[in-house]
Order: sequence, then C-alpha cells, then structure tokens
Amino acid sequence: MISRRTAAPPTGPALERARPRAADRRQAPRGRRPAAGRVLWHLAAIGVTALFLLPLLWMVVASLQPAGMPPARTLTAFPYGVAWANYAEIFRVIPLARQLGNSLLVSSMGAGVTLLTASWAGFAMAQMPPAIRRRLVALALFLLLVPASAVWLPRYIFFAELHLIDTYVALVAPAVMGSKSLFVLMYYWTFRRVSGELFESAWLDGAGAWSSWRRIALPLAAPTTLAVAVLAFSHYWSDFVDPLLFLKSASRFTVTVGLRMLQQMDQTHWPLLLAAITVAIAPVIALYLFLQSVLRGDADIVRRSLRILDRDSEER
Amino acid sequence: MNAFRFSWPGRVPASRSPLARYRRQLWLLLAPFLAGALLLIGLPALLTFGLAFTRYDALTPPVWSGWANFAAILQREVFWIAARNTLVFAGAAALLQVLGALGLALLLHPARRGVHLYRGGVYLTTILPDVAYALIWLWLFNPLYGPVNLVLGGIGLPQPAWLIDPATALPSLIAMAAFRVGEGMLLLIAARQALPAAYYQAAMLDGAGRWAIFRHITWPLLVPWLLLLFVRDIVVAAHSTFTAVYIMTGGGPGYATTLLPYLVFEEAFSHLRIGQAAAMLTLLFAAIALFVWFVYRRLGAWGYADDL
Repeated sequence: MISRRTAAPPTGPALERARPRAADRRQAPRGRRPAAGRVLWHLAAIGVTALFLLPLLWMVVASLQPAGMPPARTLTAFPYGVAWANYAEIFRVIPLARQLGNSLLVSSMGAGVTLLTASWAGFAMAQMPPAIRRRLVALALFLLLVPASAVWLPRYIFFAELHLIDTYVALVAPAVMGSKSLFVLMYYWTFRRVSGELFESAWLDGAGAWSSWRRIALPLAAPTTLAVAVLAFSHYWSDFVDPLLFLKSASRFTVTVGLRMLQQMDQTHWPLLLAAITVAIAPVIALYLFLQSVLRGDADIVRRSLRILDRDSEER
Repeated sequence: MNAFRFSWPGRVPASRSPLARYRRQLWLLLAPFLAGALLLIGLPALLTFGLAFTRYDALTPPVWSGWANFAAILQREVFWIAARNTLVFAGAAALLQVLGALGLALLLHPARRGVHLYRGGVYLTTILPDVAYALIWLWLFNPLYGPVNLVLGGIGLPQPAWLIDPATALPSLIAMAAFRVGEGMLLLIAARQALPAAYYQAAMLDGAGRWAIFRHITWPLLVPWLLLLFVRDIVVAAHSTFTAVYIMTGGGPGYATTLLPYLVFEEAFSHLRIGQAAAMLTLLFAAIALFVWFVYRRLGAWGYADDL
C-alpha cells in the first residue's frame, strides 16, 4: 500500500497530480488498518499452514535420531545428535532401492498409458452429440462412486484366471480406462473449452479423429496433460491395496508394500521407518511442487472446470 | 458443441459418409475407456453383487444360497458394529472436512502475495500416499513418545492413549481424516472467487460487519457447494478407509475401529467367507446409492442447478 502511494507518477499537470493525493488523504486513516489486517492475515495463514506442515518437518527430524537410543520424552530436536546413517541403513534393512525401482516402473507405465487413454476418451466424449455426451459424463461420475472394495475380489479372480497374479500387468490394468474416470473428465472439460469449430474445420480439411487429436487437441491441452501425468504417477506410486493383493514375490514389491514390511519387522524402531517414509514420499512431493510451480494459479484448473459445468447445466 | 450435427449432402450412403467414418473413429478412441470400465469395474461390481447370493470360499465353485448371506450378516454383531462405526466415521469426518475446507477457503481465497505457498502447504497432506499418511499418524498418536502427546504434556494437558484406547481410537481416525481437506479447499476457493465482488462492495457501503457479510452473502451463496462437498466426502469416507485401519489398528482395540471396508477385506481374504463379504459390500453400496439419490432429489427440489 505504502509503496504504491509513493510510486504515483510524478508527471502531469498540477490538477491531475492533486487529485490522487486528495483521494489518498481521504483514505489514509483507513489505509493503516488494512496494513495491520494484512499482517494479521499472514500470521493466521502461517499458523494454519504450520499446523499442516509441522508433522512432516518433525518426521524428518525424528528420522535422524540415532538407532538404539531411547525415544525422547520431551520436545527436544536432537538429544543424541544427528544420524544421517539411518538413510543408508534403511537400504540395507529392506530392499528399498529395488522397491523404489519397481514403483518407478509401475508408475511410469501406468501414467504413460493413462495419458493416452484418458485424452482419447476425453477428446471423443467432447465431440459426441449432447445426448450421448451427457450419458458418458454420468457414466464417468457413476464410476467414481463404485467403492474400490467392490472390485477387489472379482479382479483377483479375473487376474488369476488370466495368470496375471504377481505381474505388473495386474497393477497397471486400470490405465486402459484412464486409471480413474476423473482423469477422463479433466480432459473432457479441457476439450469442451476448445471451440468446436476448430475440430470441425480440421475435419473439413480431411483430418481424421486420430490426427485431429494428435495435432490440434493434444497441444492445446498441455497443462491438463501435465496435471494428469503427475496425478496418475502419484496414484500408482501411492497404490497400496493392489500390490498387497496381486503381488506375491517379495522381489516385485513396490515401495508402499515395502513400508508395510518395515513396519511389521520392528514395531518400535521409529527413526528407520520414518526415514523410509521420507524417502518414499519425496518423489510425490517433488512432483507436486514442480506441478505447482509450472501451473502457478493452482485453483485455475478447478475454476475452469466449474465454468464448464456451468455451461453444461445451461444447455440442459 | 454441435459441430457434427449438420446433415451430409450428396449421394453417399449414410454409413460410408465421411461424417459416419469420423464418428466411428471417435468411438474407437473411446473404446479403451468403455472396455476398461466394463471389464474392470462394471462386470466385477456385478459379479460381487451376484456372489452375495452364493456360498463361496474361493476353493470350491460358488453354490447358490439365496438370501442366506444377508440373513447371516444381519445377525452378526460385528456387522452392526462396523456399520455403526462407518456411519459415525463418515458423518463426523465429512462434517469436519467440509467445515475445515470452508474455513481454509475463506482464509486463503484472497489473491495476496504468498497465498500460493499457504495453499500449497495445506494441500500437501492431501497428496501423500495413504500408507505413508497412516504410518505418520500412527507415530504422531503414539501415547508415549508421539509428538501429539509430547505437545499436550508440554502444556500440561492430559495425554490420552489415542489408538490404544477403545474410547478414543475412532475419534483419532476421524481427526486424522479431517486434515485431508486440500481438494475441498481448492473447490471452495474457486467457488468463493466466483462470487460477484459487487455484493461485497454494496454490503460494505451499507456498513455491514464481517459476520453480517458472511451470514447474509457468503454462506447462502456457498451452501450448494458445501452440500456437494459434504456428499462427496461422505461417499469417499465410507469406502476409502481400508488402508488406514489395516496399517494403524487392525480394526481394534476390540472392534472399536472396525469399519466396513476392513471387515469386508478380512471376511473375504482372511476367512474366505466371500459370499458374506459380497453381501456386506452390496448393502454398503446400496446405502451409498440411496443416500446420493436422496440428496440429488432434494437438491433438485431446491433449484440447485440455478444456483450453480
């Protein structure tokens, strides 16, 4: 506020200059309150954010406690010094490197296939006649309602019949349908924002659906692609129940099952477990921070989606 | 977008026209999604529904048993405990999540410097893998050296045993779920930012206080979004609790934290009572569908679509 006032343009006739100053004087008594309010707002926001972030910071601190020491009973950060060795130790206690590699493989495959299938489906849905389109959106929303637990058992039987148990195919199979119908809807909302005339003229120029998708639709949807890629990767990285059910040999375990292994091995040795958790969640957090810094206006995707929903409801 | 609704001129048969070919290509692009939805969700869900009427232990072929499974589970005390726990958990967690998301959205909706950092920090807990989140809270809630009790002890408050004590175990899980409000917050921030600034300027000119503005402008205009979020949170809370229970409590102490998804998993994969597990799932799904349908009807009656 203050800096903006001093930065007022010094040029122009005297009258013009006088006007903003008079306005300033009128607002001056009020102007101080927003400044105080702003400080209060920042304090409140910092306090709330800290409530969400402190456990994570504390986890990193606790993961650096030396092994074999009695856990601190007071709020001291490093009563016995810092043990970076914990982060080497966890790779010896469980095959963490291998599990991280497995997770990387599964998540990359899952996210890669998801980008294709979700954008195909969203692209096709966006160009369907309104009646069919509405039914497909309803279907996608309904699929979100089906509890995951309702498909555990039949999928197990299904994969067992196809001899896919203990393979990664069983883990990434949902990528065929875009992993979650939410990803399909994200693409659908993006492509509905694109003017239909664009696809129409491409079609009049003789482009098929495939080349229209590849040359027009995909380049326009780059932010959505980035968001879906990060979300899908995190989805497969975080998946716990599927690997728990479908993987049998320990050498194929992903990192989430690895964490469970470590938890069961030693129920009292928290520093090692916390170190392993820190390593396991680091990629997800890094990807999320990357996505945020690229997309910047974080709420923008949501807001645009809302606007699309608006348009849909108007058409009805 | 009615781009392709115009009729195609010429003598080409309809099925061979370029338009029909384009349409077929579109369906081809949609095929993986539809096939996957059918094979991985549609048919499995139907199969679960079918298995609910059979006696099946995964070793011998299923035997038709009519409504016997439903009669059996309705007589089992553990089912009622799990159903009650699920209801309490879903209702309380969803309520806290919606109120938390509302508070955060009202605090963090202004476009000020640094607001992205605050929103990002709050959202971070929502993106953590379920297993990691559950293990972190298992550590936070440790009665002896968990940070929660260290803080409580530091300021001289009583230190409950959290997950160990049957009285506080379920509330602990609810508290843990209440911190995952990132998505709701983003939705409500977007909804709040979409409210016309003119309303607020007019109210301020009239000298309305903060509470009056919230009470008469913000709240009524956000209520449709809050309801939508509440329904979504209830549905999610009712069927996505397996990992937390499995990692943190194993349903205990006693049956204090036995929620339906965990009970289903135990019945199906530990006790191989697959028919009963399927019957429980069918009831859970029916309850959720009924709830959503009821809310949808009521919202329709309130002119919900106009408010959007």
